[in-house]
Amino acid sequence: MSHVFTHFRVVGALLVREMSTRFGSKPGGYIWALLDPAAHILLMTFIFRAIARAPALGTSFALFFATGYIAFQFYQAMTSYLNSAVRANRALLSYPNVAPIDTVVARFVLQVGTTTLVAFIVLGTIVATMRVDTSLHWPAILEAVAMACVCGLGVAMINSVLFLKYPLYEQVFNIVNRPLFLISGVFFLPDSIPAPYHDLVLLNPLVHMIMGFRQGFYPEYRAIGLDMEYLYGFAFLTLFAGMLVFTFSSKTLRNE
Amino acid sequence: MIRFEQATKYARTKGIKKPIIEDVSLTMNRGKSVGLLGRNGAGKSTLLRLIAGAIKLDKGRIIRRGKISWPLGFQGSFQGSMTGEQNVRFVARIYGVDTEQLIDYVEDFAELGPFFKAPVGTYSSGMKARLAFGLSMGVNFDYYLVDEITAVGDTNFKKKCQAVFETKLQDSDLIMVSHSTGTIRTYCDCGVVLEKGKLTYYEDIEDAIRAHDKNMKES
Repeated sequence: MSHVFTHFRVVGALLVREMSTRFGSKPGGYIWALLDPAAHILLMTFIFRAIARAPALGTSFALFFATGYIAFQFYQAMTSYLNSAVRANRALLSYPNVAPIDTVVARFVLQVGTTTLVAFIVLGTIVATMRVDTSLHWPAILEAVAMACVCGLGVAMINSVLFLKYPLYEQVFNIVNRPLFLISGVFFLPDSIPAPYHDLVLLNPLVHMIMGFRQGFYPEYRAIGLDMEYLYGFAFLTLFAGMLVFTFSSKTLRNE
Repeated sequence: MIRFEQATKYARTKGIKKPIIEDVSLTMNRGKSVGLLGRNGAGKSTLLRLIAGAIKLDKGRIIRRGKISWPLGFQGSFQGSMTGEQNVRFVARIYGVDTEQLIDYVEDFAELGPFFKAPVGTYSSGMKARLAFGLSMGVNFDYYLVDEITAVGDTNFKKKCQAVFETKLQDSDLIMVSHSTGTIRTYCDCGVVLEKGKLTYYEDIEDAIRAHDKNMKES
């Protein structure tokens, strides 16, 4: 039992440490966590309003991009922050009661909290200021968010180990991961992609996640090709692989 | 009490596999401070980390009764981007100690002045040692694992260490690594010599020092 309490205490301590070093050092602090995605969505809204006449769904450009971008962030911000969780806290691992997994759990909690807060503020503002009434379908939203988090956690656990073991892999991962934003359906609907590429796009589990998330905001959206089982399977398989790699690499993580 | 049972640990770096300890069984009883002797690179610091539980054995086990500190070395277990105060807060939280009390104690002991609120990355090695030492002395342990820490710092700091050690040693024990036999003599009752993967226990610290000196001559 005392073991469990130690983990709780350590995660709590790491949480405070992460908050103070992540945002505490910059002027404005935590505000940036909010301002950054809001600015992104605003910029994208302006650009696309200039090129296209109407968004692919509904009438609001802002809502269309915000739903895509924030759903994507639940995965993307998670991995990019958690990939370095162990590395950034390495010195603290010399305390015997700090375990590598504690650093991951602390960052996970902080990131889920931050993105959720951003989602509430950004999406809440957009929905509240829209002329058309939007009815939210919460189960779809929560399902998509949960899968994005599970998937992000799994990928980050795998990366924490592999980045330390194979520096080359880190370069490759970053190159592959970068265009993910473009092909995950943040600013297009996979339904509109012509035949041979349509199936290819649907191989990306994040596409399904974003489709699921949008279904929660657009009741009229039919999301052709959405396969929640595929998403679930991928997310939990990733998490399982991550836990496996993480457990069997404690030596790499502890820098022995 | 700390007991090694058929403990084995190898150090691996770039394909070279070297035993730190090999099939070691040994009991260190409570109430005696132990000086740990061995040549450079024998693995004394690794041994301390093993005792602390920061790293794991390859084979066998270590049974620990009592609260054991983290290995207290001059390079420190500090996060360079955090201030001295934040590092102290962190330790207070993970060990479940009263935060404000520990901060007061460490601030007073380490005498860092305004640097206490500056990132540890900006500290000199002496300052880090003062912080590390004050911090661990502020938390109550049954065993303190000390790795060469008294070697850094000026005379004043050494005097201070001595004073604190003397009060602490009434109900805590030390396991100390030092190349200075003088320091070992001052604090330790018995000794353990680490040589070629074997640990040899000596009831009398003088015997341990003699055995260590003999090893050094042979090489």
